Amino acid sequence: MKDYRRIIKDILVTIIILVSLFLCCLAVDNFVHEQAIIPAVFTLGVFIISLITKGYIYGILSCLGSVLAVNYAFTFPYFEFNFTIQENLISAIIMLIITIVTSALTTKVRQQEEIRVETEKEKMRANLLRAISHDLRTPLTTIYGSSQTIVEGGESLSREQISKLADGIKEDSQWLMGMVENLLTVTRIDNNNLKIKKNDVVLWELVDSVLIRFRKRYPKQDIEVDIPEDFISIPMDATLIEQVIVNLLENAVQHAKGMNWLELKVFTVGKNAIFEISDNGCGIEKDKLDHIFEVYFEKKERPVDNHKNSMGIGLAVCASIIKAHEGCITVENRKAGGSCFRFSLSMEETGDEQ
Amino acid sequence: MSNKHKILLIEDENNISNFVKTTLEGQEYKVIVAANGLEGMTLFNSYCPKVVILDLGLPDMDGVELIKEIRKKSDTPIIVLSARSSESDKIEALDLGANDYVTKPFGTGELLARLRATIRNSRHAEGGGAPKDKFVLNDLLIDYDARQIFINGLEIKLTQTEFNIVELLSVHAGKVMTYSEILKKIWGYSDVGSIKKLQVNMANIRKKLGERPGENKYIINELSVGYRMRNTEN
Repeated sequence: MKDYRRIIKDILVTIIILVSLFLCCLAVDNFVHEQAIIPAVFTLGVFIISLITKGYIYGILSCLGSVLAVNYAFTFPYFEFNFTIQENLISAIIMLIITIVTSALTTKVRQQEEIRVETEKEKMRANLLRAISHDLRTPLTTIYGSSQTIVEGGESLSREQISKLADGIKEDSQWLMGMVENLLTVTRIDNNNLKIKKNDVVLWELVDSVLIRFRKRYPKQDIEVDIPEDFISIPMDATLIEQVIVNLLENAVQHAKGMNWLELKVFTVGKNAIFEISDNGCGIEKDKLDHIFEVYFEKKERPVDNHKNSMGIGLAVCASIIKAHEGCITVENRKAGGSCFRFSLSMEETGDEQ
Repeated sequence: MSNKHKILLIEDENNISNFVKTTLEGQEYKVIVAANGLEGMTLFNSYCPKVVILDLGLPDMDGVELIKEIRKKSDTPIIVLSARSSESDKIEALDLGANDYVTKPFGTGELLARLRATIRNSRHAEGGGAPKDKFVLNDLLIDYDARQIFINGLEIKLTQTEFNIVELLSVHAGKVMTYSEILKKIWGYSDVGSIKKLQVNMANIRKKLGERPGENKYIINELSVGYRMRNTEN
């Protein structure tokens, strides 16, 4: 689909440049009667075409076209083809060489750019894998060790000890569940090349689902909810946006020390819905604010084996989901203390919902 | 409560069937376990279970096929377990006749709640060759004959369509009704464009019933899938 569009665009560009050049030369020829600049003008045109189109084909075709046009319209004998004059042939060959060299250069530059992007992606993926494998170890150790103790400990363990071990297993597997959910999301976005399937989702129903999911995990945490009364429908991938809000709420619970107020607020500005998740906890250190949505940011500074800290991945997932929705996500410290995460989604009908 | 219901669990993962069996037996259900689809079908035929809990990813066949097979001959409620979390899978299973859907990983509490709701729902369906004339859920009362709805004895004014939707959901209380199922039964046809119509009606119903997000007092919203009326108090 993308290739198809690209080809149409290249063909159009080529034709437009050639035709306007031809008209331009006709005008020059009529008014100035100065023929020496005409081949130069065409050479420039062909150069531009090979620069912006992909591959060799457009450049070479337009080069041949220009040679024919110059030969036909602007050199003696006028409005007739004549391939016997040497000057014409030589300028044709020069033009062809310029075209091929330019196309070769631009193609090479494009390939290198592609390789660079690919390597960058590869590097990110490797970083992510490393970060995750590391993060998985700690909860797995808890689960493996605790269950082993229960299985092998037999009757020597008290009821209380067993339930403490089991609690550890439960807590860490819950953490694993969240992590796996985020990973699935990442791969889903990666595979689709940032193209997601949007459905119209009713805001009320989205918030409802988020709250239920969140309260299941944090029954003691109150959330103040402020959403518009009106019927609001937003095109989105509901599972992914649900994940974003849950991640942001969870992030507040785990990182905003001293928080006793957590709010989820949604309002509309023009054709955009703005979501705000605010808390009155400790806020975010200034130097972290700029990098907080980068995947492996926390990795460098946090103490090893402190796995409860690795929401860094959660926030990065939020950022990539919002990016895939063509919205934007920001964070700031509130004047009254605490932090406020904000993201926007367009409410315009996309036309490709199903 | 004496609920010695027979539950058929069709699940190939030993560890999962193990903990599900233990949990259910702790609640006084009688559990029969099948490790693959074929065995599941055989056990289904010979034991006539009250509810089937079915894993969609079986070694010998797709669980979806099994739903079709069971639906050919019986209305026994089916709860689907699956690691596939995309909505389209849920909708497919539900539209084929599954009663409910639990996504792995799930907690035992969630599974038990779904199971109770499903059993209640099927009891409700069995009891009614003759339709009931009233539906009660906490402080909500629906009078089918008078076509009236009350909360705490106060009448809630609904439009015809709104009442039809609430009536439909309450008749199937405990079961997830997909958007297309509701559209077909209320408007007689279902195309994707009309989902919004249903959602708008639903928004009005919720407003009139005084539902607040995150509370789920009467109607549970299954995002991107459909709606379900509660049938258990709490």
